[in-house]
Amino acid sequence: MPDDIPDVLTMERVTKIYGEGDAAVKALDDVDFEANIGEVTVIMGPSGSGKTTFLTIAGALLTPTSGNVIVSNLNITKMSESELPDVRREKIGFIFQSFNLLESLTATENVRLVMTEARRGSYHPELELLKMLGLGHRLNSLPKNLSGGEKQRVAIARALINNPDLILADEPTANLDAKRGRELMLLLRQIAMEMQKAVVIVTHDHRIREIAHRIVWLEDGTFRTDVATARDPVCSRVIEVEGAPMIDSEGQTYHFCGHDCRRIFEGDPARFRQS
Amino acid sequence: MLLVARKNLFSERTRLAIAVGGIALSVFLISLLLSLFRGWDETVGKFVEDSNVDVWVGAVGTKDFMRAASLVPLEGTEAFDEAVPIKEWAPLIVRPMVGVKVKFPRDPDDPGRELDIHLVGYDTQKGLGGPIKVVEGKEAPGPNEVIIDEALASRYDVDLDDLISAGGTEWTVVGISEGGNFVASQTVFVSLEQAQEALQMEGQATFIVFDLFDTIDHENFAADVSTIDPGAVGFTRDQFAANTREVILGDVLPILTIVLALAFVVGLAVSGLTMYTATIEKSREYGIIKAVGFKNAYLYRLVFEQGMVTGALGFAIGIGLTLLFGPLVGDRVPQFVTLVRWQDVLAVFGATVLMSLFASFVPVRRLAAIDPVTVFKA
Repeated sequence: MPDDIPDVLTMERVTKIYGEGDAAVKALDDVDFEANIGEVTVIMGPSGSGKTTFLTIAGALLTPTSGNVIVSNLNITKMSESELPDVRREKIGFIFQSFNLLESLTATENVRLVMTEARRGSYHPELELLKMLGLGHRLNSLPKNLSGGEKQRVAIARALINNPDLILADEPTANLDAKRGRELMLLLRQIAMEMQKAVVIVTHDHRIREIAHRIVWLEDGTFRTDVATARDPVCSRVIEVEGAPMIDSEGQTYHFCGHDCRRIFEGDPARFRQS
Repeated sequence: MLLVARKNLFSERTRLAIAVGGIALSVFLISLLLSLFRGWDETVGKFVEDSNVDVWVGAVGTKDFMRAASLVPLEGTEAFDEAVPIKEWAPLIVRPMVGVKVKFPRDPDDPGRELDIHLVGYDTQKGLGGPIKVVEGKEAPGPNEVIIDEALASRYDVDLDDLISAGGTEWTVVGISEGGNFVASQTVFVSLEQAQEALQMEGQATFIVFDLFDTIDHENFAADVSTIDPGAVGFTRDQFAANTREVILGDVLPILTIVLALAFVVGLAVSGLTMYTATIEKSREYGIIKAVGFKNAYLYRLVFEQGMVTGALGFAIGIGLTLLFGPLVGDRVPQFVTLVRWQDVLAVFGATVLMSLFASFVPVRRLAAIDPVTVFKA
């Protein structure tokens, strides 16, 4: 990246090991990573590759076994447990796969809940933000009365309310249909570029690649740069091409996450070619 | 109050109702039992306290009004007339017994109804040890006449002109007095002569009661009784009232204490379990709250505030029920005498705060153990 674009998230030689001795599992192995303002970075990889561990460490929810994590110029690995909640609240915005709104609070209250004291005042940024995200008519609705797309937009408003530089999203389109998913992707890109945030998305959804400025592949706890990927036409997962089951059909090569998906494809190739 | 605490509480009304109901029931039980105890405590000593007797003297072994088995010979008691400290004295006969009420006009098929009474024979001229206040009918009973306590009248539906039979004699009810309720039994006043005759106690009394001049120290006078006559024992009004209370309520107190403790535990268990299950059910939401940047202290405060509001609501309902239920039942059951003192209300409030505090502590470890990382799971 050019020198004039500041890093919002820097991870230096981060390793995370769960368990001890023979039972030890290395979830992240000497990982270096940077996320920059105005940029959407998509992290992809197979299940168990360490994506969630990466996200929770970047989000100050988990402490790495070794290495440094710097968020908005704060080395959070040097901080005590009691200091981390403030970092999460003020410096990081989270968008979760299951929206994770509090069911008893309205859309406005869900956003207002996480507002820092500094943001509270005579004007109401939470209302402005919700209206900006097209939820002006849903301000007093409970989550149970909102559609999936609306819930995710409330979650985005909650992530943005304290104006953090870093937005971490975990499978943000997983519970949305194709149309809503695409709208959300564009919104995330807009947020990164127009509101000058660093957006890091962990996902299996290949569609998100469309909006990514950068895609990185995480596998076995390390980032790989030489990975060719393809979308499994049956389950839509993005998979590493190398070693994956494959089929040539009508002049095109299809790769699959496993033999089950390939068998399903073989049963009705026309259906999956269209998708 | 924290927004989430308020919303959590009032968005789940069934859970709130269970928790508040548990505490309200506990507060109701505690305050009702306390008020019942206070009511009895007040009532059973009231006759002795309100009477115009300064010192009660009975045979050795006598301690109280209820178990009045004392026999005091009246020989030589005329000397009291000359005694300097004594303004007035009189023999008094007290006998716990079972009477029979017969309605007037008499129905030959009605066998009557048994009554638990304390028959009191008093000197109707001097009035010492007699009715505290006559509220209806004659001021003093004549031959074959009786004045009964209003609690007896209410408890057994006795009216003026009805007959009360006791000790083989029948008396007509000519007056109703107040202040002679001992909860389990009530006073029935007849003249001293009538009592002596009915109980075959001529020349004897249960007590000699004294009205002393104001300058006389009652305690010294009572203490001197044993010195002058080793077969007699004297009590001041307060000592005698306390002894009477002790004999009626002494055995009740340990049982009451256990029931109060159980009521406290029931309230604590209901509120604690409700809060614990609510915490388990809300684990994911608490995980979200932690994930988006709130500390454990915020969650503790959340649960604490929910506990306190639940406790306050339960307290208000419980005390309200006591204030409503006590007099309502008391009107129908005269033995159900309640007295709500503000000191007791304050004590019950303290117990409720303690209950809520303990209940809030039950889920604390669970809250601390919630891992915010779990919110990343779908």
